Amino acid sequence: MNKKKLLIALAGNANVGKSVIFNHLTGLHQHIGNWPGKTVERAEGTLHFKGYTIDIVDLPGIYSLSTYSLEELVSRKYIAVERPDVVINVIDASVLERNLFFTLQLMELETPMVICLNQMDIAKSKGVQVDVKKLEQLLGIPVMPTVAVKGVGIAKLLEKAIETIEKKQAKPPQVTYGEEVEEKIGKIVEKMKNVHLVYPARYVGIKLLEGDEEIEREIQRINPQIVDAAKKLAGEIECIHGHCCSTVMTSERYEAAGCIARAAQKLVSPIKPTKVERLHNFTTHRVTGYLTLVFSLLLIFYSIFTFGDYTSGLLSDLLYALEPFFASVLGTGFVGQLLWGGAMEGLIAGITIVLPYIIPFYLILYFLENSGYLSRIAFLMDNIMHKIGLHGKAFIPMMLGFGCNVPACLGCRIMETQRERLLAAFVVTLVPCAATTVIILGLVGDYLGVHWALALYIVDFVIIFALGRLAFKVVPGEPTALIMEMHDYRWPHMKTILKQTWFRVAEFIKIAFPLIIVGSLALKLADVLGWLETIASVLSPVTVTWLGLPAITGITLIFGVLRKELSLVMLAALLAPTGLASMTPVQMIVFTLVAMLYIPCIATIAALFRDFGWKKSLFITVFEIAFAILVGGIAMRLLTLFM
Amino acid sequence: MEKPNSNKREVPLTALKAGESGVVIIIRQGHIRRKHRRHGHIIHRSLVHGITRDSGFEKRLVDMGLTPGTKVTVVKAAPFHGPFEVLVRGSRLALGRGMAERILVEKE
Repeated sequence: MNKKKLLIALAGNANVGKSVIFNHLTGLHQHIGNWPGKTVERAEGTLHFKGYTIDIVDLPGIYSLSTYSLEELVSRKYIAVERPDVVINVIDASVLERNLFFTLQLMELETPMVICLNQMDIAKSKGVQVDVKKLEQLLGIPVMPTVAVKGVGIAKLLEKAIETIEKKQAKPPQVTYGEEVEEKIGKIVEKMKNVHLVYPARYVGIKLLEGDEEIEREIQRINPQIVDAAKKLAGEIECIHGHCCSTVMTSERYEAAGCIARAAQKLVSPIKPTKVERLHNFTTHRVTGYLTLVFSLLLIFYSIFTFGDYTSGLLSDLLYALEPFFASVLGTGFVGQLLWGGAMEGLIAGITIVLPYIIPFYLILYFLENSGYLSRIAFLMDNIMHKIGLHGKAFIPMMLGFGCNVPACLGCRIMETQRERLLAAFVVTLVPCAATTVIILGLVGDYLGVHWALALYIVDFVIIFALGRLAFKVVPGEPTALIMEMHDYRWPHMKTILKQTWFRVAEFIKIAFPLIIVGSLALKLADVLGWLETIASVLSPVTVTWLGLPAITGITLIFGVLRKELSLVMLAALLAPTGLASMTPVQMIVFTLVAMLYIPCIATIAALFRDFGWKKSLFITVFEIAFAILVGGIAMRLLTLFM
Repeated sequence: MEKPNSNKREVPLTALKAGESGVVIIIRQGHIRRKHRRHGHIIHRSLVHGITRDSGFEKRLVDMGLTPGTKVTVVKAAPFHGPFEVLVRGSRLALGRGMAERILVEKE
């Protein structure tokens, strides 16, 4: 059979079950990466069907095709430039109007389309009956009903998509606007005759009227007269309607979407509070909502740390049991020491973080996200996050940061603009992660009491608050606000959660492991060559004079860059025989404070680098080292007055 | 473009109580700056008019379905000056208070 290649793109609003459909279609043959040069995720997969090799691209979940967010820009460029053979537009049958608004915009890109009318079951339980035939007829695009979480209708959807491609179905029908708008679109299209862009001429006309920045820029380069003419025409529309032109056009699109939705759906049962409705009210209530939030967070962290601690210990015992075996094979010479103490110990460090902590964390995170609880958390935390210049959604990466800063930095992608992503990532790197918690509890908590540990946490929160505000003031850009859909609660699709977790963990391993292993190899090399003493004495002006710590902490703090709790473990070993107890209370506090603030670990730096480039990651790193040393020194001087 | 605030029924969305609805008239440009607060009263409010024709967030609000003429129902507001939960076009949105303040509605 001749193997033909096809390209299918999945597009639609957020939370319509797009990723579930993507998982059904591609199974484990998927690859998650970034769009070139963008901090926007790109999920791709392949499948074989009827002799075709089909590449499927899951575009980000968005509500519009303007240039508001990076996701929107990336999606529309992809469809215009790559010209997929067909775009499957996944829409939520229970919120038809909003979803059709997006469908109408997709149609303007003039790519063949198939509509996947998903969540038919939820719509039914809400009393919304959608007439599929009618919808098909009104839109002029094939519509396939599905219940993705149960796998219903997926095969038929794929068949329909192939059929649409094979029939070489023409572009979807035109969406028409009001007369006065149409006339103006026509005028611009007329002028565009000799201009060739990746976007269809009509689309360019529409977007120029809307004042779309990206399209304006492109046309400006080719023929600035067209942009000027379009601006004038847009002005005329503004005069007629009294609203800015893009609002007029969006209104008309919504109007059209509303008409189609009303004609194709029937609301059967009266709207009464259902079980999900009651759950929503309970979890966003001014009292019970916050109680639920606090309780859930405590439960999550307690169970992850208990599970993680136990499993981590078990794993590390198991892996360290390999040491005699290694020693017998490689010997205890230079190479043997390097390979075990460097490479293997680095690997063990990685494994004992990933399995016990990262995996459960992601499982729970995706459960909360897919069920809809994360958006309620963002709703409840919005006003608090506003105090540091971010909005409610930023609480989610921060929450992740308490587990591990790496996924938290990557999780900042949920913010809309690049500025907010950077601000959120900066704040996140100051959040005490699981490893930092080990230091705080293991040193200050054990030797000085829980109240001191608690005080350190409070100090950290105050610092986060202050620096967050400062960064918000310093980084240029528009302040932001929360605009977020809160979809109905639903039971998530477990397989999708498992796959999302799997791909995230793979991403973590790819980012963190090479660095942890190479780093620990390098430090071991320095150790074997006897350079550590030299390093310690070079650093002593800072560690001994300014911070008042034992000289040896210079070395352990460097090791902490690999993995923060290592700095405590090593310190205990290096201070033998008396161990940590030989430190004064002030030294303990200062050491913990510095370890807590001084640098995101090497894996976090890598995660920052991936999303923000080396300049910004380097800046954050250097700033935090300097800041930690400053705060540590001041704290030492203040504390010696009292203790 | 912007009508003077003569009509008493024309209020920011934040003035609606839980359960009340209004119809979107316009989204105000720029942002409201609260200058002083005394005894919980806002004694000076100034509307800073934006320079750009449509800033990103206005476009976003409109894209989310808050076009002029749309009915909006306030479900509730989160405590301590938190965001608003509203129903628009059959879906539930969370709007930050700063956003909600800029949406002028005619109370129903």
